[in-house]
Amino acid sequence: MTNQWKLKEIVLMSILGVVFAAIYLLFFFFGQTLRNVLMPFGLGEFGYEIIFGIWFIVSIIAAYIIRKPGVAFTSEVIAGVVQVLMGSPAGPMLILTAMVQGAGAEFAFAITKWRDYRLRILVLAGVFAAVFSFAWHLYSSGNITLAAWLIVATFIVRVISGALLAGVLGKWISDQLAKTGVLRGYALGKEMQEERERDAA
Amino acid sequence: MIEQLNPTLKAFTILVPGVLLGLMFDIFTPLFYLVFVILVTFLFSNISMKKWLLIFTPFVLLAIGFAWMRMLYTRESFAGGEVLFSIWQFDVTTGSVMIAISLGLRSLCFVALSLLFILTTDSTKFMLSLMQQLKISPKITYGVLAGYRFLPTFRHELQVLRQAHRIRGVGRARGIKGRIIQFKRYSIPLLANAIRKAERVAIAMESKGFTGEKERTYYHPMKVGKRDWVFFSTMVGMFFFIVILSYSFGYLNVFGNQF
Repeated sequence: MTNQWKLKEIVLMSILGVVFAAIYLLFFFFGQTLRNVLMPFGLGEFGYEIIFGIWFIVSIIAAYIIRKPGVAFTSEVIAGVVQVLMGSPAGPMLILTAMVQGAGAEFAFAITKWRDYRLRILVLAGVFAAVFSFAWHLYSSGNITLAAWLIVATFIVRVISGALLAGVLGKWISDQLAKTGVLRGYALGKEMQEERERDAA
Repeated sequence: MIEQLNPTLKAFTILVPGVLLGLMFDIFTPLFYLVFVILVTFLFSNISMKKWLLIFTPFVLLAIGFAWMRMLYTRESFAGGEVLFSIWQFDVTTGSVMIAISLGLRSLCFVALSLLFILTTDSTKFMLSLMQQLKISPKITYGVLAGYRFLPTFRHELQVLRQAHRIRGVGRARGIKGRIIQFKRYSIPLLANAIRKAERVAIAMESKGFTGEKERTYYHPMKVGKRDWVFFSTMVGMFFFIVILSYSFGYLNVFGNQF
Protein backbone atom coordinates (compact mmCIF):
# COMPACT_ATOMS: atom_id res chain seq x y z
CA MET A 1 0.00 0.00 0.00
CA THR A 2 2.70 2.50 1.01
CA ASN A 3 4.60 1.73 -2.19
CA GLN A 4 1.77 3.23 -4.23
CA TRP A 5 2.06 6.49 -2.35
CA LYS A 6 4.61 9.11 -3.26
CA LEU A 7 6.61 10.61 -0.43
CA LYS A 8 5.02 14.02 -0.99
CA GLU A 9 1.57 12.47 -0.62
CA ILE A 10 2.59 10.86 2.64
CA VAL A 11 4.04 14.11 3.97
CA LEU A 12 0.86 15.89 2.89
CA MET A 13 -1.21 13.36 4.86
CA SER A 14 1.06 13.92 7.86
CA ILE A 15 0.82 17.71 7.69
CA LEU A 16 -2.97 17.49 7.34
CA GLY A 17 -2.88 15.10 10.28
CA VAL A 18 -0.92 17.63 12.34
CA VAL A 19 -3.16 20.59 11.43
CA PHE A 20 -6.37 18.69 12.11
CA ALA A 21 -5.02 17.11 15.27
CA ALA A 22 -4.78 20.65 16.65
CA ILE A 23 -8.32 21.40 15.46
CA TYR A 24 -9.62 18.12 16.90
CA LEU A 25 -8.15 19.00 20.29
CA LEU A 26 -9.78 22.43 20.19
CA PHE A 27 -13.11 20.83 19.34
CA PHE A 28 -12.73 18.50 22.31
CA PHE A 29 -12.92 21.54 24.58
CA PHE A 30 -15.64 23.11 22.45
CA GLY A 31 -17.68 19.89 22.77
CA GLN A 32 -17.20 19.93 26.50
CA THR A 33 -18.55 23.49 26.62
CA LEU A 34 -21.52 22.56 24.45
CA ARG A 35 -22.24 19.63 26.72
CA ASN A 36 -22.16 21.83 29.81
CA VAL A 37 -24.47 24.35 28.14
CA LEU A 38 -26.94 21.65 27.08
CA MET A 39 -26.79 19.70 30.34
CA PRO A 40 -29.35 21.81 32.23
CA PHE A 41 -31.87 21.10 29.45
CA GLY A 42 -31.24 17.37 29.84
CA LEU A 43 -29.60 17.31 26.39
CA GLY A 44 -26.00 16.94 27.55
CA GLU A 45 -25.59 13.74 25.56
CA PHE A 46 -25.97 15.75 22.35
CA GLY A 47 -23.12 18.17 23.14
CA TYR A 48 -20.53 16.11 21.32
CA GLU A 49 -22.88 14.55 18.80
CA ILE A 50 -23.69 17.84 17.07
CA ILE A 51 -20.05 18.49 16.19
CA PHE A 52 -18.93 14.86 15.91
CA GLY A 53 -18.48 15.08 12.15
CA ILE A 54 -15.48 17.37 12.53
CA TRP A 55 -13.48 14.42 13.86
CA PHE A 56 -13.80 12.59 10.52
CA ILE A 57 -12.93 15.52 8.27
CA VAL A 58 -9.26 14.74 7.69
CA SER A 59 -10.17 11.37 6.13
CA ILE A 60 -12.45 13.05 3.62
CA ILE A 61 -10.03 15.90 2.78
CA ALA A 62 -6.99 13.63 2.37
CA ALA A 63 -8.86 11.00 0.35
CA TYR A 64 -10.49 13.64 -1.87
CA ILE A 65 -7.13 15.30 -2.59
CA ILE A 66 -4.90 12.23 -2.98
CA ARG A 67 -7.44 9.64 -4.23
CA LYS A 68 -5.60 6.43 -3.44
CA PRO A 69 -6.56 3.37 -1.40
CA GLY A 70 -5.80 3.58 2.31
CA VAL A 71 -5.49 7.37 2.45
CA ALA A 72 -8.72 7.97 4.38
CA PHE A 73 -7.75 5.42 7.01
CA THR A 74 -4.10 6.43 7.34
CA SER A 75 -4.68 10.18 7.56
CA GLU A 76 -7.20 9.72 10.37
CA VAL A 77 -4.82 7.42 12.26
CA ILE A 78 -2.00 9.95 11.80
CA ALA A 79 -4.24 12.67 13.23
CA GLY A 80 -4.92 10.34 16.18
CA VAL A 81 -1.23 9.62 16.73
CA VAL A 82 -0.33 13.31 16.52
CA GLN A 83 -2.95 14.12 19.15
CA VAL A 84 -1.23 11.61 21.42
CA LEU A 85 2.14 13.23 20.63
CA MET A 86 0.62 16.60 21.54
CA GLY A 87 -0.44 15.12 24.87
CA SER A 88 -4.17 14.61 24.46
CA PRO A 89 -5.58 13.29 27.74
CA ALA A 90 -7.40 10.60 25.75
CA GLY A 91 -4.05 8.88 25.28
CA PRO A 92 -3.39 5.74 23.24
CA MET A 93 -7.11 4.85 23.23
CA LEU A 94 -7.49 7.73 20.81
CA ILE A 95 -5.43 5.88 18.19
CA LEU A 96 -7.88 3.01 18.42
CA THR A 97 -10.84 5.38 18.01
CA ALA A 98 -9.10 7.00 15.04
CA MET A 99 -8.62 3.57 13.45
CA VAL A 100 -12.32 2.80 13.78
CA GLN A 101 -13.35 6.17 12.29
CA GLY A 102 -10.77 5.95 9.53
CA ALA A 103 -11.93 2.43 8.66
CA GLY A 104 -15.49 3.75 8.38
CA ALA A 105 -14.52 6.48 5.91
CA GLU A 106 -12.25 4.11 3.99
CA PHE A 107 -15.12 1.63 3.69
CA ALA A 108 -17.19 4.13 1.70
CA PHE A 109 -14.34 4.72 -0.74
CA ALA A 110 -13.67 0.98 -0.96
CA ILE A 111 -17.27 0.38 -2.12
CA THR A 112 -16.54 2.52 -5.19
CA LYS A 113 -13.12 0.82 -5.60
CA TRP A 114 -11.50 4.23 -4.90
CA ARG A 115 -12.70 5.63 -8.25
CA ASP A 116 -15.59 7.90 -7.34
CA TYR A 117 -14.97 11.12 -5.41
CA ARG A 118 -18.19 12.99 -6.05
CA LEU A 119 -19.94 14.79 -3.21
CA ARG A 120 -22.34 11.90 -2.58
CA ILE A 121 -19.45 9.50 -1.91
CA LEU A 122 -17.73 12.00 0.38
CA VAL A 123 -20.98 12.39 2.32
CA LEU A 124 -21.26 8.60 2.43
CA ALA A 125 -17.73 8.43 3.86
CA GLY A 126 -18.73 10.86 6.60
CA VAL A 127 -21.84 8.78 7.30
CA PHE A 128 -19.92 5.49 7.50
CA ALA A 129 -17.30 7.06 9.76
CA ALA A 130 -20.18 8.16 12.02
CA VAL A 131 -21.76 4.68 11.99
CA PHE A 132 -18.46 2.93 12.79
CA SER A 133 -17.53 5.37 15.54
CA PHE A 134 -21.03 5.15 17.00
CA ALA A 135 -20.78 1.36 17.24
CA TRP A 136 -17.37 1.70 18.90
CA HIS A 137 -18.67 4.19 21.47
CA LEU A 138 -21.64 1.96 22.28
CA TYR A 139 -18.98 -0.34 23.67
CA SER A 140 -16.12 1.85 24.90
CA SER A 141 -18.10 4.67 26.52
CA GLY A 142 -20.81 2.31 27.70
CA ASN A 143 -23.41 4.12 25.57
CA ILE A 144 -25.21 0.78 25.25
CA THR A 145 -26.64 1.39 28.72
CA LEU A 146 -28.51 4.49 27.54
CA ALA A 147 -32.25 4.48 26.99
CA ALA A 148 -33.19 3.18 23.52
CA TRP A 149 -34.77 6.45 22.31
CA LEU A 150 -31.63 8.35 23.30
CA ILE A 151 -29.39 5.91 21.41
CA VAL A 152 -31.50 6.35 18.28
CA ALA A 153 -31.59 10.15 18.64
CA THR A 154 -27.82 10.50 19.20
CA PHE A 155 -27.20 8.14 16.29
CA ILE A 156 -29.25 10.29 13.91
CA VAL A 157 -27.54 13.48 15.08
CA ARG A 158 -24.09 11.92 14.68
CA VAL A 159 -24.83 10.64 11.17
CA ILE A 160 -26.12 14.06 10.05
CA SER A 161 -23.10 15.72 11.63
CA GLY A 162 -20.80 13.26 9.82
CA ALA A 163 -22.50 13.93 6.50
CA LEU A 164 -22.37 17.73 6.82
CA LEU A 165 -19.29 18.57 8.90
CA ALA A 166 -17.08 15.86 7.41
CA GLY A 167 -18.52 15.25 3.94
CA VAL A 168 -19.79 18.63 2.77
CA LEU A 169 -17.38 20.85 4.72
CA GLY A 170 -14.46 18.57 3.83
CA LYS A 171 -15.20 18.89 0.12
CA TRP A 172 -15.67 22.63 0.41
CA ILE A 173 -12.32 23.16 2.17
CA SER A 174 -10.52 20.94 -0.36
CA ASP A 175 -12.09 22.78 -3.32
CA GLN A 176 -11.09 26.13 -1.84
CA LEU A 177 -7.56 24.82 -1.39
CA ALA A 178 -7.43 23.54 -4.96
CA LYS A 179 -8.41 27.01 -6.18
CA THR A 180 -5.30 28.48 -4.58
CA GLY A 181 -3.20 26.23 -6.81
CA VAL A 182 -1.21 24.50 -4.06
CA LEU A 183 -2.68 21.12 -5.00
CA ARG A 184 -1.35 21.12 -8.57
CA GLY A 185 0.84 18.12 -7.78
CA TYR A 186 -2.02 16.00 -6.42
CA ALA A 187 -4.98 14.19 -7.98
CA LEU A 188 -7.58 16.84 -7.08
CA GLY A 189 -5.48 19.69 -8.44
CA LYS A 190 -4.80 17.80 -11.65
CA GLU A 191 -8.50 17.12 -12.14
CA MET A 192 -9.29 20.81 -11.69
CA GLN A 193 -6.57 21.74 -14.18
CA GLU A 194 -8.05 19.36 -16.77
CA GLU A 195 -11.51 20.82 -16.24
CA ARG A 196 -10.18 24.32 -16.72
CA GLU A 197 -8.42 23.34 -19.94
CA ARG A 198 -11.54 21.65 -21.20
CA ASP A 199 -13.57 24.76 -20.45
CA ALA A 200 -11.03 26.92 -22.23
CA ALA A 201 -10.96 24.72 -25.32
CA MET B 1 10.92 3.34 35.79
CA ILE B 2 8.10 3.71 33.30
CA GLU B 3 9.93 6.53 31.49
CA GLN B 4 12.51 4.07 30.18
CA LEU B 5 10.04 1.53 28.81
CA ASN B 6 9.58 0.91 25.11
CA PRO B 7 6.85 3.35 23.96
CA THR B 8 5.04 1.00 21.58
CA LEU B 9 4.73 -1.83 24.05
CA LYS B 10 3.78 0.72 26.71
CA ALA B 11 0.95 1.99 24.50
CA PHE B 12 -0.17 -1.58 23.88
CA THR B 13 -0.04 -2.32 27.61
CA ILE B 14 -2.33 0.67 28.22
CA LEU B 15 -4.71 -0.37 25.45
CA VAL B 16 -5.38 -3.95 26.57
CA PRO B 17 -6.92 -3.16 29.98
CA GLY B 18 -8.47 -0.02 28.45
CA VAL B 19 -10.41 -2.10 25.92
CA LEU B 20 -11.26 -4.88 28.38
CA LEU B 21 -12.66 -2.38 30.88
CA GLY B 22 -15.43 -1.77 28.36
CA LEU B 23 -16.89 -5.16 29.33
CA MET B 24 -17.21 -4.40 33.02
CA PHE B 25 -20.35 -2.83 34.41
CA ASP B 26 -19.79 -3.17 38.14
CA ILE B 27 -18.24 -0.67 40.53
CA PHE B 28 -15.64 -2.90 42.13
CA THR B 29 -13.54 -3.72 39.03
CA PRO B 30 -12.90 -0.19 37.69
CA LEU B 31 -12.51 1.24 41.18
CA PHE B 32 -9.78 -1.18 42.20
CA TYR B 33 -8.07 -0.96 38.85
CA LEU B 34 -8.08 2.83 39.13
CA VAL B 35 -6.45 2.61 42.56
CA PHE B 36 -3.89 0.20 41.13
CA VAL B 37 -3.05 2.47 38.17
CA ILE B 38 -2.66 5.48 40.47
CA LEU B 39 -0.35 3.47 42.73
CA VAL B 40 1.76 2.42 39.74
CA THR B 41 1.87 6.05 38.58
CA PHE B 42 3.35 7.33 41.80
CA LEU B 43 5.53 4.36 42.71
CA PHE B 44 7.14 3.63 39.35
CA SER B 45 7.31 6.90 37.46
CA ASN B 46 8.85 10.33 37.98
CA ILE B 47 5.58 12.20 37.40
CA SER B 48 5.22 14.89 40.05
CA MET B 49 2.08 14.47 42.11
CA LYS B 50 1.20 18.15 41.77
CA LYS B 51 1.29 18.06 37.99
CA TRP B 52 -0.69 14.83 37.88
CA LEU B 53 -3.38 16.16 40.23
CA LEU B 54 -3.60 19.37 38.21
CA ILE B 55 -4.48 17.38 35.10
CA PHE B 56 -6.53 14.67 36.75
CA THR B 57 -8.83 16.75 38.98
CA PRO B 58 -10.82 18.41 36.15
CA PHE B 59 -11.53 14.94 34.80
CA VAL B 60 -13.03 13.92 38.12
CA LEU B 61 -15.56 16.73 37.70
CA LEU B 62 -16.20 15.69 34.09
CA ALA B 63 -16.66 12.09 35.17
CA ILE B 64 -19.22 13.15 37.77
CA GLY B 65 -21.18 15.09 35.14
CA PHE B 66 -20.91 12.15 32.76
CA ALA B 67 -22.10 9.69 35.41
CA TRP B 68 -24.99 12.00 36.32
CA MET B 69 -26.27 12.03 32.73
CA ARG B 70 -25.87 8.27 32.47
CA MET B 71 -27.85 7.81 35.67
CA LEU B 72 -30.85 9.72 34.36
CA TYR B 73 -31.02 7.98 31.01
CA THR B 74 -30.24 4.36 31.82
CA ARG B 75 -31.95 1.75 29.66
CA GLU B 76 -34.50 -0.43 31.50
CA SER B 77 -32.58 -3.69 31.04
CA PHE B 78 -29.61 -2.18 32.92
CA ALA B 79 -31.57 -0.14 35.42
CA GLY B 80 -33.00 -2.89 37.58
CA GLY B 81 -33.61 -2.58 41.28
CA GLU B 82 -35.89 -0.42 43.33
CA VAL B 83 -36.53 3.26 42.80
CA LEU B 84 -34.25 5.28 45.06
CA PHE B 85 -35.55 8.76 44.30
CA SER B 86 -36.98 10.75 41.43
CA ILE B 87 -35.87 14.06 39.95
CA TRP B 88 -38.22 15.84 37.60
CA GLN B 89 -39.70 12.99 35.58
CA PHE B 90 -36.76 10.61 36.07
CA ASP B 91 -36.95 7.62 38.37
CA VAL B 92 -33.48 6.80 39.61
CA THR B 93 -33.05 3.12 40.50
CA THR B 94 -30.24 1.30 42.28
CA GLY B 95 -29.29 -0.31 38.98
CA SER B 96 -28.88 2.98 37.17
CA VAL B 97 -26.83 4.45 40.02
CA MET B 98 -24.49 1.44 39.88
CA ILE B 99 -24.10 1.69 36.10
CA ALA B 100 -23.47 5.44 36.31
CA ILE B 101 -20.79 5.12 38.99
CA SER B 102 -19.20 2.25 37.07
CA LEU B 103 -19.06 4.24 33.82
CA GLY B 104 -17.72 7.31 35.63
CA LEU B 105 -14.97 5.21 37.21
CA ARG B 106 -14.24 3.61 33.85
CA SER B 107 -13.68 7.01 32.26
CA LEU B 108 -11.33 7.91 35.13
CA CYS B 109 -9.46 4.65 34.55
CA PHE B 110 -8.99 5.68 30.91
CA VAL B 111 -7.63 9.07 32.00
CA ALA B 112 -5.26 7.58 34.58
CA LEU B 113 -3.97 5.02 32.06
CA SER B 114 -3.52 7.72 29.41
CA LEU B 115 -1.63 10.01 31.78
CA LEU B 116 0.63 7.12 32.70
CA PHE B 117 1.53 6.95 29.02
CA ILE B 118 1.52 10.61 27.99
CA LEU B 119 3.46 12.02 30.92
CA THR B 120 6.20 9.40 30.60
CA THR B 121 6.69 9.18 26.85
CA ASP B 122 8.87 11.26 24.55
CA SER B 123 7.05 11.92 21.28
CA THR B 124 10.06 11.39 19.00
CA LYS B 125 10.92 8.11 20.71
CA PHE B 126 7.30 6.99 20.33
CA MET B 127 7.46 7.54 16.56
CA LEU B 128 10.87 5.86 16.27
CA SER B 129 9.60 2.90 18.21
CA LEU B 130 6.41 2.66 16.11
CA MET B 131 8.66 2.43 13.06
CA GLN B 132 11.04 -0.13 14.52
CA GLN B 133 8.69 -2.35 16.50
CA LEU B 134 5.56 -2.24 14.35
CA LYS B 135 7.51 -2.03 11.07
CA ILE B 136 5.53 1.02 9.98
CA SER B 137 7.05 2.49 6.83
CA PRO B 138 9.81 5.05 7.53
CA LYS B 139 8.11 7.21 4.91
CA ILE B 140 5.12 7.60 7.21
CA THR B 141 6.96 7.93 10.52
CA TYR B 142 9.53 10.46 9.30
CA GLY B 143 6.74 12.24 7.41
CA VAL B 144 4.74 12.57 10.62
CA LEU B 145 7.78 13.70 12.58
CA ALA B 146 8.54 16.32 9.93
CA GLY B 147 4.92 17.51 10.04
CA TYR B 148 4.90 17.52 13.82
CA ARG B 149 7.90 19.83 13.87
CA PHE B 150 5.87 22.44 11.99
CA LEU B 151 3.28 22.68 14.73
CA PRO B 152 4.88 25.66 16.52
CA THR B 153 5.22 27.55 13.22
CA PHE B 154 1.46 27.49 12.67
CA ARG B 155 0.90 29.80 15.59
CA HIS B 156 3.48 32.19 14.20
CA GLU B 157 1.83 32.07 10.78
CA LEU B 158 -1.57 32.82 12.28
CA GLN B 159 -0.05 35.92 13.88
CA VAL B 160 1.46 37.04 10.58
CA LEU B 161 -1.89 36.52 8.89
CA ARG B 162 -3.69 38.55 11.51
CA GLN B 163 -1.20 41.41 11.22
CA ALA B 164 -1.42 41.30 7.44
CA HIS B 165 -5.19 41.60 7.66
CA ARG B 166 -4.97 44.48 10.07
CA ILE B 167 -2.48 46.46 8.02
CA ARG B 168 -4.81 46.15 5.05
CA GLY B 169 -7.70 47.36 7.14
CA VAL B 170 -9.68 44.12 7.32
CA GLY B 171 -11.64 44.35 10.54
CA ARG B 172 -13.10 41.78 12.83
CA ALA B 173 -16.08 39.88 11.49
CA ARG B 174 -19.61 40.57 12.69
CA GLY B 175 -22.56 38.21 12.52
CA ILE B 176 -22.71 34.63 11.37
CA LYS B 177 -21.97 35.36 7.73
CA GLY B 178 -18.99 37.47 8.68
CA ARG B 179 -17.69 34.69 10.91
CA ILE B 180 -17.88 32.20 8.06
CA ILE B 181 -15.98 34.55 5.75
CA GLN B 182 -13.42 35.11 8.49
CA PHE B 183 -13.05 31.37 8.98
CA LYS B 184 -12.30 31.01 5.27
CA ARG B 185 -9.89 33.95 5.33
CA TYR B 186 -7.78 32.29 8.00
CA SER B 187 -8.14 28.55 7.41
CA ILE B 188 -7.52 28.39 3.68
CA PRO B 189 -4.22 30.35 3.64
CA LEU B 190 -2.99 28.44 6.71
CA LEU B 191 -3.76 25.09 5.08
CA ALA B 192 -2.36 26.21 1.73
CA ASN B 193 0.90 27.18 3.42
CA ALA B 194 0.99 23.85 5.24
CA ILE B 195 0.57 22.00 1.94
CA ARG B 196 3.36 24.02 0.31
CA LYS B 197 5.61 23.10 3.24
CA ALA B 198 4.71 19.43 2.90
CA GLU B 199 5.74 19.49 -0.73
CA ARG B 200 9.03 21.25 0.02
CA VAL B 201 9.87 18.90 2.89
CA ALA B 202 9.18 15.87 0.72
CA ILE B 203 11.45 17.20 -2.02
CA ALA B 204 14.15 18.02 0.52
CA MET B 205 13.98 14.54 2.02
CA GLU B 206 14.23 12.85 -1.33
CA SER B 207 17.03 15.10 -2.56
CA LYS B 208 19.05 14.14 0.52
CA GLY B 209 18.75 10.47 -0.34
CA PHE B 210 15.74 9.40 1.74
CA THR B 211 14.19 6.46 -0.06
CA GLY B 212 11.85 5.26 2.66
CA GLU B 213 13.10 1.69 2.40
CA LYS B 214 12.51 -0.50 5.39
CA GLU B 215 16.00 -2.03 5.31
CA ARG B 216 17.86 0.80 6.92
CA THR B 217 19.94 1.51 9.98
CA TYR B 218 18.85 3.60 12.94
CA TYR B 219 20.79 6.10 15.00
CA HIS B 220 18.48 5.42 17.95
CA PRO B 221 17.70 1.70 18.00
CA MET B 222 14.56 1.02 20.06
CA LYS B 223 14.37 -2.38 21.69
CA VAL B 224 11.84 -4.36 23.67
CA GLY B 225 13.42 -5.89 26.76
CA LYS B 226 12.45 -8.03 29.72
CA ARG B 227 11.42 -4.94 31.67
CA ASP B 228 8.78 -4.10 29.06
CA TRP B 229 7.20 -7.53 29.28
CA VAL B 230 7.23 -7.37 33.08
CA PHE B 231 5.29 -4.09 32.86
CA PHE B 232 2.90 -5.62 30.32
CA SER B 233 2.20 -8.72 32.37
CA THR B 234 1.81 -6.72 35.59
CA MET B 235 -0.72 -4.28 34.12
CA VAL B 236 -2.73 -6.94 32.28
CA GLY B 237 -2.29 -9.61 34.96
CA MET B 238 -3.51 -7.24 37.67
CA PHE B 239 -6.59 -6.49 35.58
CA PHE B 240 -7.54 -10.16 35.45
CA PHE B 241 -6.67 -10.58 39.12
CA ILE B 242 -9.13 -7.79 40.01
CA VAL B 243 -11.77 -9.34 37.74
CA ILE B 244 -11.35 -12.69 39.52
CA LEU B 245 -11.43 -10.92 42.86
CA SER B 246 -14.67 -9.12 42.06
CA TYR B 247 -16.08 -12.41 40.77
CA SER B 248 -15.30 -14.14 44.04
CA PHE B 249 -16.96 -11.32 45.96
CA GLY B 250 -19.99 -11.62 43.70
CA TYR B 251 -19.70 -8.10 42.26
CA LEU B 252 -18.61 -8.92 38.72
CA ASN B 253 -21.01 -7.60 36.11
CA VAL B 254 -20.16 -8.17 32.44
CA PHE B 255 -22.44 -6.28 30.04
CA GLY B 256 -25.27 -6.14 32.51
CA ASN B 257 -25.04 -9.82 33.42
CA GLN B 258 -24.34 -10.39 37.09
CA PHE B 259 -21.97 -13.26 37.87
